[in-house]
Amino acid sequence: MEYESVIGVEIHVELNCATKMFCDCPNRPGDEPNRNTCPTCLWFPGAIPKFSREALEKASMVCLGLNCQIQERSAFDQKVYYYPDLPKGFQLSQAHKPLARDGWLDITGEDGKTKKLRIHHIHMEEDVAKLVHETEGRTPISLVDFNRAGVPLVEIVTEPDMRSPHDAMEFIRALRTQIRYVGSSDCSMESGTMRVDANISIRPKGTDQMNTKVEVKNMNSIRHVGDAITYEIQRQIACLQGGEPIILHTRLWDPEKKVTTAMRSKFSGPCVPDPAVAQILISQAWLNEMQARLPEMPAQKAERFIRQFGLTREEALMMSAERDLSEYVETVINHGIKPKTATHWLATQFLPALRERRQTIADTTVNPDRFAGLLSMLERDEINANAARAVLNQLFEGDDSPAALVEKAGVRQISDASALEGLVEKVLAANASAVADFRNGVAKAMGFLIGQAMQASGGKANPKLIREILTKKLGA
Amino acid sequence: MPSDIFSHREPSPSSHGKDGTLSGMKVALQPNMSVRGWPTEAGSMALKRFVALENATVVERLRGAGALLVGSTRMSELGFGLAGDSTASAVSGGHADCALITDTMGESRIAASMAGLWAFKPTYGIVSRLGLIGLVPSMECYGVVAKKPQDIAPVMKVIAGRDENDFSMPDLAIPDFHLDGEKEDAVKNIAVLKECPELLTADEAALFRSGLSRLEKAGFNLQEASMADFGLFRTVHQVVGSVEASSSAGKYDGVRYGHRASAAKNWNEMYLKSRAEAFGLPVKAYLFQGAYFQFENFDAFEDACRIRARLVKAMDDLLARVDAIALPTRRKGYPAEKAATVGQVYDAFLLTLAANVTGLPALQVPGIVSDDGFDFGLQLVGRRLSEPHLLSAGALLRR
Repeated sequence: MEYESVIGVEIHVELNCATKMFCDCPNRPGDEPNRNTCPTCLWFPGAIPKFSREALEKASMVCLGLNCQIQERSAFDQKVYYYPDLPKGFQLSQAHKPLARDGWLDITGEDGKTKKLRIHHIHMEEDVAKLVHETEGRTPISLVDFNRAGVPLVEIVTEPDMRSPHDAMEFIRALRTQIRYVGSSDCSMESGTMRVDANISIRPKGTDQMNTKVEVKNMNSIRHVGDAITYEIQRQIACLQGGEPIILHTRLWDPEKKVTTAMRSKFSGPCVPDPAVAQILISQAWLNEMQARLPEMPAQKAERFIRQFGLTREEALMMSAERDLSEYVETVINHGIKPKTATHWLATQFLPALRERRQTIADTTVNPDRFAGLLSMLERDEINANAARAVLNQLFEGDDSPAALVEKAGVRQISDASALEGLVEKVLAANASAVADFRNGVAKAMGFLIGQAMQASGGKANPKLIREILTKKLGA
Repeated sequence: MPSDIFSHREPSPSSHGKDGTLSGMKVALQPNMSVRGWPTEAGSMALKRFVALENATVVERLRGAGALLVGSTRMSELGFGLAGDSTASAVSGGHADCALITDTMGESRIAASMAGLWAFKPTYGIVSRLGLIGLVPSMECYGVVAKKPQDIAPVMKVIAGRDENDFSMPDLAIPDFHLDGEKEDAVKNIAVLKECPELLTADEAALFRSGLSRLEKAGFNLQEASMADFGLFRTVHQVVGSVEASSSAGKYDGVRYGHRASAAKNWNEMYLKSRAEAFGLPVKAYLFQGAYFQFENFDAFEDACRIRARLVKAMDDLLARVDAIALPTRRKGYPAEKAATVGQVYDAFLLTLAANVTGLPALQVPGIVSDDGFDFGLQLVGRRLSEPHLLSAGALLRR
């Protein structure tokens, strides 16, 4: 029998707010353990949670970025369970009345067609403390770090619309792009600011039954999500074929062994409305304010790049995938650089150089003004491409302007035809055999002669002009 | 130095507002009201050796107004009921001019009626709960106990008001507690519930009626009114209260403070043993009841929440027609201080808990309904935010 998989995902995203969700402690989970704590996030007796407005704003921006309907009324519940990472015995989470419902994202399916994947709802919740398991001598001990307790999260719950690991990975990528655009989180699975759990079931292909699902956790990259889902589908098919029923449970992805293993279920209880956190009422005016903060989103931006700058779809998608890159390229173009030049040089030179140096657009000293300065010299034929590449590397090293670096390196291009003619004459005289080859129809001899001329100029000659002069002199 | 009345006695109480409206007034607290540096065990082994880290907002305000916080008394476990509570004795014994008692189901009013004192439970949400270690967040509040109603208004004026750190406070216009001169006719029409005598024995009902005649003599208009669902207040309080208590008490794990069981195989067992050893019987039973509704019968909890909303509306509707509702504060055969089971606690607080379910203000008046030295107490339950009116009516009755 042929099977198909039915996949839904639950994605936790840590919001990049300045403070925790219910107190004024800094939202910096990575600090020295238990530094960022207070009676509220330690849940000492007598403390009362104080809901952060910034958390609501950042969460709302996520909802808008994912095309969700923000609800007029939402509320926090107490999700009751007893575990050392949760010292008050419940987690504040919007179980019954989530912040937003009914969203969607478009992805490109495996068949190349656009596929709309629906989002069931998005709710806010606080993160729990982090458990660190160590040993003291031979005794295993568990330590609790409360820096993460109370960190603001949103959880995005999709409909089971995905049918393959590809769908799930594309959805996560699209979601990450949208959330980075609205500026609410960096959505890094590697550093834990985005955590993905997948719910997977299988059914005979062509039917619409909903079978028992299995939840898979602990993937720390998008690739792992794909691998884990692939494995889990195969495992479930093998189960069914072996006559074993699928049981509702949770499994952990083991990235080393590339398998999922059953995990002991955490006892989880009911969700009771919290009497201490006020309900959230969203007014139209406030919603309008949030909507006004929405930037141009990647899909619209790509369309505009195609229309306005004449980029190909592929170039436009690449240049709009990250908000900071899209703004960078646009600034460069606004300096008068041809869009094609800007795009090409960003993709092939600037971004690899950035990666090599482990820098980001936000922290590099090669800002769009300096980069555009370099490209404008290239476009005006003041330097050639080789020189431009060398100067780009130097731009990363200090604060000198591109023009100053060009002067210092003495790589300003020789575009004076009369000066180059003399140089070409000398090259022709010194390479009689290559000249003869060319005349006998060996086309690559031209390349050799250009190379010789460039070398003679110390790399400074304008290669286009050299070719023109050579062509003329050889009467080709 | 601890005593029968005080679990903590401040050797030389200090305040920071020497010229405040409460200058020199001695106030006793319960040990579940946070005063930085004071032992704050809330009558429970679950908070053994817990010392408050911050001042409750109410504590800050009392000290700022010049009040002298003389110490904290002895209280029932987590303020559930009145077993072992000594707070009213601190006032009747002259150790304090007034005391604050956590009023979750009527504790301040019943304690006062037992000691021949006045007590006032304000409208829910006008006094910050920050720093109050309670059990039922949606019903509990500070109750003020004093020898005369004139002492209550200045305390209320100081402790009531918005607290930007208590987000659970609704956005209410805080009433103006006029401290000089009483508006004598603010409370005129008082309703007596037809259903109330049905909850009492014949003797109690007769006594209550004779007390009511004193109200008439004092110039109030009495009228009979009906509230068919009055009997549901107890059930709603118990279901909602126990669920909230189960959640609130979830934090007592014996790890960071409080009693911790000595030997346990793993953390789960450590929690179970610590909690089993820490809580006393009524509280433990109450938490079990709450857990039952949370885990096994959530529908019943949701029903209770819906019925609560209906009860709130019914009381508000009734109070739109009259200025207050008169009820006895306590009953004769159900001593609150001796209640040892959840059922006995609810029996004892049957007539006071409606004000907690609805969040309405209530005044306990001594010396009106009494029999052979047993003071039943009289409660006037008023409209939301009508506290100055109730206190004026009280002053009138005292004369």
